[in-house]
Amino acid sequence: MNLQQAFDALRQQETASAPRFDRMWRARAPRSLTPRLAFAAMLLITVAVLVFQPQKPQPSITAWKAPTDFLLQTPGRELLTSVPDLKGSRQ
Amino acid sequence: MEIEREIEELHAASFGWAMSCCGRNRQDAEEVLQDVYVKIFEGKARFDGRSTLKTWLFSVIRRTAASQTRQRMLHDVLTAKWARRELDPVSPTSDAAAQHAQTSEALIAALQQLARRQREVLELVFYHDMTVEEAAAAMGVSLGSARVHYDRGKKQLLARLNGKLSL
Repeated sequence: MNLQQAFDALRQQETASAPRFDRMWRARAPRSLTPRLAFAAMLLITVAVLVFQPQKPQPSITAWKAPTDFLLQTPGRELLTSVPDLKGSRQ
Repeated sequence: MEIEREIEELHAASFGWAMSCCGRNRQDAEEVLQDVYVKIFEGKARFDGRSTLKTWLFSVIRRTAASQTRQRMLHDVLTAKWARRELDPVSPTSDAAAQHAQTSEALIAALQQLARRQREVLELVFYHDMTVEEAAAAMGVSLGSARVHYDRGKKQLLARLNGKLSL
């Protein structure tokens, strides 16, 4: 057996076990579409979540309380909010 | 589609070339060939008619295999996988097939000891019946360079196969 025949034997052996062309050629579409489909599905889910999320009721303006209100709760604050009873203190 | 039919005719040879470019690892070869078909289908690789379809297709397979090998090496480095990749076992079915398989194994072992360009040019010429000029185009090297790789590679291959094949 010479070099050419050895290569011929190798070629015969390998090409005989080649996978079917149509299997490989047809398999291309889903493979290239998969990332796009995944992206589209993710986008759809995000939009659906944003659109259909439950709306929180708007709070009334009279029920609103300033978040820094507690800073006004100083010691002795009641002395400033009431009028002292001078008559009672004299007795 | 005309090009699809022509590519189908070259499919077995393309697979053989992909096997060669992937160090005879069947799984890698199938992956490379599939990627090549995707590139062609999506128009990322276009045949411009400057060479034969076979030469162009083989150069696309060669580039794709090289790119995947680089990616795989990087991945192996990052994941610290240093295990040697196994070649697909040959399963002969008769005496003649067994003899052919032995010859093929000896040839593959000898080819793998050659430099990459020497191996490529010899396979393109002997395995794929290309001229050295066509092989140079498929490899993306000058004709002079391909001739040097061919001569040196052939001498080394014959020296390594001496006694293993009745040459």
